[in-house]
Amino acid sequence: MATASRIYLGLVLVFLYAPIAVMAVMSFNDSQFYALPIKWSLRWYADLAGNQRLIDAGMNSILVAVITTVIAGVLGTAAAIAFFRYTFRGKRLLQGLLFPPIAIPWLITGTAMLLFFFWTGIGRGLHAMVLGHVALALPYVIIVVGARLQAFDPDLEAAARSLGANPWQVVRYVTLPFLAPGVIAAALFAFAVSFDQFVISYFLAVPGVSTLPVEIYTSIRKGFTPEINAISTIVIVASMTLLVGVSRFYRFGGDR
Amino acid sequence: MASVSVRSVSKLFGSFRALDDVSIEFDDGGFYGLLGPSGSGKTTLLRLIAGFEYPDAGAITIGGESVERRPAEKRDVGMMFQSYALFPNMNVFANVAFGLTVRGVPSGEIRTRVGEALELVKLAGLEKRRTHELSGGQRQRVALARAIVIRPRVLLLDEPLSALDKALRTGMQIELKRIQREIGITTIFVTHDQEEALTLSDRIGVLRDGRLIQEGAPRDIYERPRTAFAATFLGDANLFEGTVEGDAIRLDDGPPVRTDDPLPAGGTRVTIAVRPERMTVSAGSPAAGGARNEIGARVDEAIFAGNSLTYMLTHGARSVRVFAQNTGAEPVAAGAPVRVSWNPADTIVVDA
Amino acid sequence: MAAGTAALGGAARTRSSARAIAVLTGPAYLWLTVTVLLPLMAMLYFSFLTEAPIAGRVGELTLEQYRTFVERGFYTTLILRSLKLGVTVAFLCFLIGFPCAYILAKTVKGRWREALFLLVIIPFWSNALVRVFSWTMVLRGNGLLERAIDWVVPGAGSLGLMFTYTAVVIGLVHSYLPYMILTCYISLQAIDDDLIEAARSLGAGRLTILRRLILPLALPGIVAGAVLIFVPVIGSFMEPRILGGRQGTFIGTIIEDQFTAVFNWPLGAALSFILLACVLVIFALFAPILKRAA
Repeated sequence: MATASRIYLGLVLVFLYAPIAVMAVMSFNDSQFYALPIKWSLRWYADLAGNQRLIDAGMNSILVAVITTVIAGVLGTAAAIAFFRYTFRGKRLLQGLLFPPIAIPWLITGTAMLLFFFWTGIGRGLHAMVLGHVALALPYVIIVVGARLQAFDPDLEAAARSLGANPWQVVRYVTLPFLAPGVIAAALFAFAVSFDQFVISYFLAVPGVSTLPVEIYTSIRKGFTPEINAISTIVIVASMTLLVGVSRFYRFGGDR
Repeated sequence: MASVSVRSVSKLFGSFRALDDVSIEFDDGGFYGLLGPSGSGKTTLLRLIAGFEYPDAGAITIGGESVERRPAEKRDVGMMFQSYALFPNMNVFANVAFGLTVRGVPSGEIRTRVGEALELVKLAGLEKRRTHELSGGQRQRVALARAIVIRPRVLLLDEPLSALDKALRTGMQIELKRIQREIGITTIFVTHDQEEALTLSDRIGVLRDGRLIQEGAPRDIYERPRTAFAATFLGDANLFEGTVEGDAIRLDDGPPVRTDDPLPAGGTRVTIAVRPERMTVSAGSPAAGGARNEIGARVDEAIFAGNSLTYMLTHGARSVRVFAQNTGAEPVAAGAPVRVSWNPADTIVVDA
Repeated sequence: MAAGTAALGGAARTRSSARAIAVLTGPAYLWLTVTVLLPLMAMLYFSFLTEAPIAGRVGELTLEQYRTFVERGFYTTLILRSLKLGVTVAFLCFLIGFPCAYILAKTVKGRWREALFLLVIIPFWSNALVRVFSWTMVLRGNGLLERAIDWVVPGAGSLGLMFTYTAVVIGLVHSYLPYMILTCYISLQAIDDDLIEAARSLGAGRLTILRRLILPLALPGIVAGAVLIFVPVIGSFMEPRILGGRQGTFIGTIIEDQFTAVFNWPLGAALSFILLACVLVIFALFAPILKRAA
């Protein structure tokens, strides 16, 4: 690789990671005014431990993400299998319908959900967030599991049948083991989509019941404090770790 | 072991007629080749016998039982796939054992039978290997062991050797034949490779456009193909058109030639096929009245191929190919007029 | 073949596969209907009401909300401002991202490529809010950037970047740059290296190859990236709020206000729909190229 290319890639990576690094470093700075040189301290993390609002929000985030993962994982995998196995009228339309939740700005989907849920009496709160998060995660699950299925040789199922496996055994011993990495990737992905989701959660939160991103946003609007750096650092580290996990099972860039 | 019988079977995919009224009997213990170009319906016929598809019309019986609506998993039919379809999440042992596991065979017996099957295909000792660590030939043997370990009534092979290179293929042909004879199972295989079909099969069915156009022993089909297609698809053939004149056929661009085949009434248009290796090329112009059929031609090219020689000739407006043994004699030079002759017994009257 | 023929089999099998398709896809699509399609329809309905029909109030059908939008230049100005923001961010992402994607796809090899690609793409899927927030640490007065500049050029004075349009652009480019790199990378990767070598053997220079071969072939990826960046950017409200301060008023923040502060839901719904209309027009315009990218 030419030196110029290396430098360029390096600069892009600096641009992408430097702000996050600065935030993380500052979260360990004892000074409330981000004074330099840094006096290292875990003070802000200790403060977090005493912040019940943030802890509650964190638990909510995990709860919503887990439920979203299970529901989106099951529904999405089922739909992906149907798309893979069957050719039917309206298939393209159904596949096209996966696009809006991804492509329409979340602001529009979020406000529409708020208005519809409020109007119909579904209301706001964690259950409403699960409704919304599953809708956002479903397309990704279908895409990720679908990508894995693309590599599936239908002859494997035929072979299992000719060897005497009944339909249930075919799924249990052949299809699911093959799909497993895709389903795991999709589940981690769904978890990440929900865990990091801010916009939808923001519109569907009720005062006192919110998730970490919503709580962080509220704190930012009130004014920057090093405590936000600390919780944000935790959130971004968790989020990136999850995604590295996804990448072990799913190639973001398609075939390589 | 069982015989398979296919009677008047048709299969449609949408409006595409993949099989059209096909009837064929596969005797118990025989080795059958289904030969045809792609799209001829040969794989569809195999999948119907396996139970992956159901026929739209007609009957299929295995060992006398009617099975055309029975799902694949209840047919006791072993199948080897073109892609081998080895389960990537299982090692060699688990792949071969799969059919026994799902049948609930006790694990001790599974171990013995898998061992025997791997022994038969000469893969003993590779039980723990992952399938992706195997060579092409080894994968093929695993697929075969997996198909026969369940002691199926019929063994189906879909293009069994097409994924192997030529050197391996010849070895595997002999191997397949040995294993089939050893276990004596009715075997039906699909191929588009005529040489493979001729080498392996006891009987061959030739398919084209969803129809069975000829069925019989390899030698019979080769010696007496019924259609021009069968003649050219199975081996090489020179085709000529002509009109029946008494007990001979007057070629459109040449002299009358004789045949041992029964001829239709005088004046009928017929097509004849002559195998290139049954023709001889000799220098000089034809002299009428000999015991052999003779036509005149001009040598375009003589292609040397070691033990044999291929003459590319022109007779009238058509090209004729002749295979000659390399006897050590000097080939006839290009441009020279020659006589091409053959025995009347080698004139095959075919449907166009 | 198996997949293709399942639906073409006999009548009995068609019926059973129809049931299987319904069972497998039904729940997912029912969910999407309740959470996306019906809400969007409800929003369309609300946008034609005088007031939100909640808490016992009754809204009457009216075009008032849309009239407000047309008559008050304020909203049109804001839409244009948001569209300009979208174009700016998408274009900057292309300028920065395309070379990066090219280097990744064509010069980096093997495991390095995989690792670097992952490094570039991971931030995109990670927490957007936190990433935007992290810029406040860099951009604010006496923040990292100003200190760095001061260190190089003592006494350079304050940049005053925080709470400006520029700050919003920087934050959004940071947010969406990986997307452009991803889409460009995918289409660049599909270009056979032999094509480039063939062009070189025919005497084409680097620039010619870029202009005549690589850019046209990578166009679907570039357009896909630009559209997929443009659309969320024109609907952004969190980024302008955090980085733009008082300079951060866009159509997105105004819509948010209608729902969370002013509580004029019908107006918010109407504005949302006008924004959605913009999005749909963009998609319709670029549909042919987007299809090629997919």
